[in-house]
Amino acid sequence: MAAASVQTPPARTDWAEDSEPDLATVLPPPQVTKNKDGTETIVTFFINEDGKKAKRTQRIRRTIVKKKENPRVAERRAWPKMGPEAGKPAGPRSDTTTLGENIIFRPVMGFKSGQQQEKAPEEDKKADALKKMQIKCRICSGDHFTTKCPFKDTMAPEGEAGSAAVDMDGGMGGGGEDAGGLGVGSSSYVPPHLRGKTGSGTGERMGGRERDDLATLRVTNVSEFAEEEDLRQMFERYGRVTRVFLAKDRDTGRAKGFAFVSYADRSDAARACEKMDGYGFGHLILRVEFAKKSTT
Amino acid sequence: MRPILLQGHERALTQVKFSKEGDLIFSVSKDHLVCAWYSANGERFGAYKGHQGALWTVDVDPSTTLLATGAADSTMRLWEVRTGKLLKTWDYPTAVKRVEFSEDGKQLLALTEKRTGHLSNIYVYDINPDPEASQTEEPSLRITVDELPRVTVAGISCLSKYIVTGHEDGSISQWDAKTGELIHTAFSHDENQLVSDLQWSADRTYFITSSKDKTAKLHDTSSLEVLKTYVADTPLNSAAITPEPTQYVILGGGQAAMDVTTTSARQGKFEARFYHKVFEEEIGRVRGHFGPLNYVAVSPTGHCYCSGGEDGYVRVHHFDPPYFDFKFEVEREREQGLRF
Repeated sequence: MAAASVQTPPARTDWAEDSEPDLATVLPPPQVTKNKDGTETIVTFFINEDGKKAKRTQRIRRTIVKKKENPRVAERRAWPKMGPEAGKPAGPRSDTTTLGENIIFRPVMGFKSGQQQEKAPEEDKKADALKKMQIKCRICSGDHFTTKCPFKDTMAPEGEAGSAAVDMDGGMGGGGEDAGGLGVGSSSYVPPHLRGKTGSGTGERMGGRERDDLATLRVTNVSEFAEEEDLRQMFERYGRVTRVFLAKDRDTGRAKGFAFVSYADRSDAARACEKMDGYGFGHLILRVEFAKKSTT
Repeated sequence: MRPILLQGHERALTQVKFSKEGDLIFSVSKDHLVCAWYSANGERFGAYKGHQGALWTVDVDPSTTLLATGAADSTMRLWEVRTGKLLKTWDYPTAVKRVEFSEDGKQLLALTEKRTGHLSNIYVYDINPDPEASQTEEPSLRITVDELPRVTVAGISCLSKYIVTGHEDGSISQWDAKTGELIHTAFSHDENQLVSDLQWSADRTYFITSSKDKTAKLHDTSSLEVLKTYVADTPLNSAAITPEPTQYVILGGGQAAMDVTTTSARQGKFEARFYHKVFEEEIGRVRGHFGPLNYVAVSPTGHCYCSGGEDGYVRVHHFDPPYFDFKFEVEREREQGLRF
């Protein structure tokens, strides 16, 4: 059962061994001692691949598993394979044998065959549709709608992350102009709260406090073992940090891989963004950009 | 339970059989190949090559030394299980639809199809169980089925006393296995709904027949009386009786192969259905095939069953504990009553 193998470091290389290799080949016989708890300790000496004497200590518990088998079955098991399988090694081969997915089969009294059959297709379709419609937030990949995302004020949808920095450089108008353009120029309907987004764009957020997104950085590719305090320490070098938020998985408590760092001053933020982008943290390389205002 | 998928065939399976100890599975399909598998891990032991037509049927003798196969090339062949050697070929005018060894393995039944002016014939041969010995050319019994409708399935009863046949019109006939006389015909299934399968209980004192009329029926061998009826919602291709101590029957079927592509897998009802043998109540289903089940077979040990589908797969299922523990309330009460 529990076989712990302890390999001692190679025996010291003293002159005796170097000059007289014959001595090393004379190995003491393996020692077997029985322990009180029913295990056995086997100590063996051997020459390892470096040509040095090594000692191996193994602790073994023997358990006897008795299995009854029909002798005829056992005999047939030993038959050499024939036909197209002739000469192939024992054991199932992947080209002819595969394992299916697990089926839970539990006999029940009063299995509803007829009714279930008639009803099932529709019901199952609905359930399947629900299951398939995995709600995935475009911002933080959580299982909620993007509009309900707690980070929507501070972060752009993931797909648009690449353009975020560019947008910021061009001022806040970048994203807003598109939306605004729709409202003005094109004929398609644009809901009021999206029209002329450059200004407010806060129609739906009643009473929601406006965070100063101008000085907020979005940090992605954060190691899942990171802590908020680590980030704070790293980013404080460039100025006063007003807020550090590290998204964590609710169940596991591990970081989700992104964080927000808000600075009191936007110039600090810009400097931090420049310096920290590409910074190696943990085993990953951080990606730092300005948080883009949510478009949803 | 995790089914083991055996993918040795390229076309629809027609029959699968377990050896008596349940360790080997023999499968035949329309692709001219007979495969042998270890049921424990799904390893293919080998294949028997030689048939020139679609295989319809296979059976193995109780000692697992001889294997009989019947095919659309109008031959029945006898093989040595261990080496795959072809021992004997019998030629007929029409396809062989069913082969079956008797309980003791000393007799072999062959059923030929009624086609192109030839009538259905039932042949019984005396078999020498020694693979080295030469086998007889002449049948010890030959029944030409003239007046009755086309025979679809046949079998030899306990003690090789009767031959039982299932017919195209849903009737079941009983013949004397010594003289070949027709004893009795029972019209147990709906009219003109062919009997698709006939499988024996472990001792061959009763048998189950499945039919396209969406039912399977348990018959007494000597009286042909219908003991139990299992009603399904799809045409059945096969039915099997699980051995003691479990009291179940397994039915397999599904929509006819020609209609399969027009429906989804679920509506096709390609599931193995489990019924309680005594209470005739359905207790569960096992999904997996994406074509109709052409044959279901239960290991004589009762620990696993396998199904061969129109989709070309054999699925081997080893039962989990809930299968063995399941009991109806009355059964449980009875057990407790016996204990106190």
